[in-house]
Amino acid sequence: MAGENISISMIKKLILGILLFIPGLFLFLHSSEGLLSPDKDLRLYLPGEAETGGWKGDGLPQIYVGEDLFTYINGGAEIYHEYGFKQVIVQDFLNKNKKSISLEIFEMSNPESAYGMYTFKTNPGGEELALGDEAQLADYYMNFWKGKFIITLTGFDEDEGTIKGLQKIARAVEAKIKISGKKPPLVSFLPKKDLLTQSIKYFKGNLGLYNSYPFFARDVFGIDKGIKGDYREVYSFYIIKYKNDNECQKRFDEAKVGFEGSPRYRDFMFDKEELIQVRDGKGKLIFISRFKRYILIVRGILSQVQARKIFASFALRSDI
Amino acid sequence: MTVKIGRREFVKKSAKIGFSTAVGSSFIYQLVDGSIHASAGEKIDIAVVSGNDYFKNTIRAVELLGGIKKFVQKKSKVAILANVQSRNPGAFTKPILLRAAISMCKKAGAGEINCLSLLPRKNWEGAGLAQVIEEEGANLKLIDRDNETLFTTIPIPKGKALKEARIMKEFFNNDVFINMPITKDHAGNKFTGTMKNLMGLNSRKSNRSFHKEGWRTNRSSIEFLDQCIADLNSVIKPTLCIVDATEFITTGGPFGPGNIIKPQKVVVGVDRVAIDAYCTTLWGMKPEDIIMINKGYEHKLGEIDLKKKKIKEVIV
Repeated sequence: MAGENISISMIKKLILGILLFIPGLFLFLHSSEGLLSPDKDLRLYLPGEAETGGWKGDGLPQIYVGEDLFTYINGGAEIYHEYGFKQVIVQDFLNKNKKSISLEIFEMSNPESAYGMYTFKTNPGGEELALGDEAQLADYYMNFWKGKFIITLTGFDEDEGTIKGLQKIARAVEAKIKISGKKPPLVSFLPKKDLLTQSIKYFKGNLGLYNSYPFFARDVFGIDKGIKGDYREVYSFYIIKYKNDNECQKRFDEAKVGFEGSPRYRDFMFDKEELIQVRDGKGKLIFISRFKRYILIVRGILSQVQARKIFASFALRSDI
Repeated sequence: MTVKIGRREFVKKSAKIGFSTAVGSSFIYQLVDGSIHASAGEKIDIAVVSGNDYFKNTIRAVELLGGIKKFVQKKSKVAILANVQSRNPGAFTKPILLRAAISMCKKAGAGEINCLSLLPRKNWEGAGLAQVIEEEGANLKLIDRDNETLFTTIPIPKGKALKEARIMKEFFNNDVFINMPITKDHAGNKFTGTMKNLMGLNSRKSNRSFHKEGWRTNRSSIEFLDQCIADLNSVIKPTLCIVDATEFITTGGPFGPGNIIKPQKVVVGVDRVAIDAYCTTLWGMKPEDIIMINKGYEHKLGEIDLKKKKIKEVIV
């Protein structure tokens, strides 16, 4: 009898525990770090038919996690991994006219990665849209980033209906992403005067840098964080940030050797103020300098005096 | 001049370089000097035909090189390697070019036309290429890229980075190889064309080895990747290259989407280095900018200096 009472008591406690546990589990699963949170299940970001203005999901969504991205985009996956890729969901949509749109929601490691990938995927000339943290519409596709997500929508023609569909679906996705992101601090280091904002590229590795301008095929700069902006089509300004002055000095010295020895460059000069000057195959001048833990590069149509002025302005910043 | 070497001779040559793996029944190894004598006195290396009818462009470009019969013999088995990486505009070989190529092969009396691919059917359907193959009566042969038993080892005696390739066995069942890439941007090495397209014959496991540190590109290894591609090209030589340079992405490659330019050109020839070198100029690059092209030239696969090649440009 006593044993029976104990069992009943234990069952009551167990039931009570479960009742208390369920709300906790519910809260956990819906928190940003929970197992079924949108971060873990990207399907929760897919818009329903009611939100897309007549565009219906075509087939099941495909999800690729980590290295599986290579299965989806093969050789194109490397650049995503360089920026910090976690997973992607792909869903195609069709409308009543059998027009097609492809939606890709990439979850990156953090907002810095998403922003970097966004700058990699966008180019000057697109139409900027007020969507997410930044958005751009090109002829038949659009990209936007918000928080740690970069979203790409591709139409397969330039019809007005397709372009409207892109934006409709994009806005539906954007509304489901609740947390915005901030651009990396390095963005603010680019002088604003005459900056062509759509030309900005944020780098997390040599592949991104190489695609912007192929200084070296080898990772001479050992780039981990860097940025580039174009100025009125006259010159490009690159800023590469290092962990400390010593590492910066080491990379600067390697770059000096690289520029001096590479057949890609000519007219190598190096002065006592540690300014490297070379001319590339297209005849454009490249100036490279170092300040504290930053390597600074300008490339384009400008004189050494102008380059020095740009570097001097950078050195005057109080937040370096 | 085109020299055709049958399987027996290929194996004999290969034996000298340590190749002993059994390959398909009729592998044809093409040796070419990179130039074609289109007609008496006229030597054309690359034919470039522009115009908004891409079917006509393709036909005309091959005619300028002397016609399809110079490359495809009666009853021969033809392997075609198109690029179907994605269905994004400007990222895959256009169906109309494939239709033209198949149609020419049929007219030449080809016994079999096989479109080979490591990518799944949905890629071919999404790009509209599967429909063309079906309508034209050609075969779509899809090879499971992860099934290593479907690939055979080919030694690369001159390989500097890649010592052996793993080529799909099905490839060796053909007599003629028509390489049909689309030229476009590539985030890995900035350019893709005839040489890089050959990765489409190689097993995924082997392709992974092109990228240091397993599957992912070592950040300092663009040069290694490009050397591997050139090495691969040193043992597989297309009979003919037909390059889609009609509309292609110059950013966001190789998968897209990205900015598209429309030179409306079909570029045809045999010299892969020269063809790729020519295609770089279509979007403001120089051949020397692309490591892979330099590596191909160093391997003596072709000529990087376009001034040394006879390029015939025609508008239709």
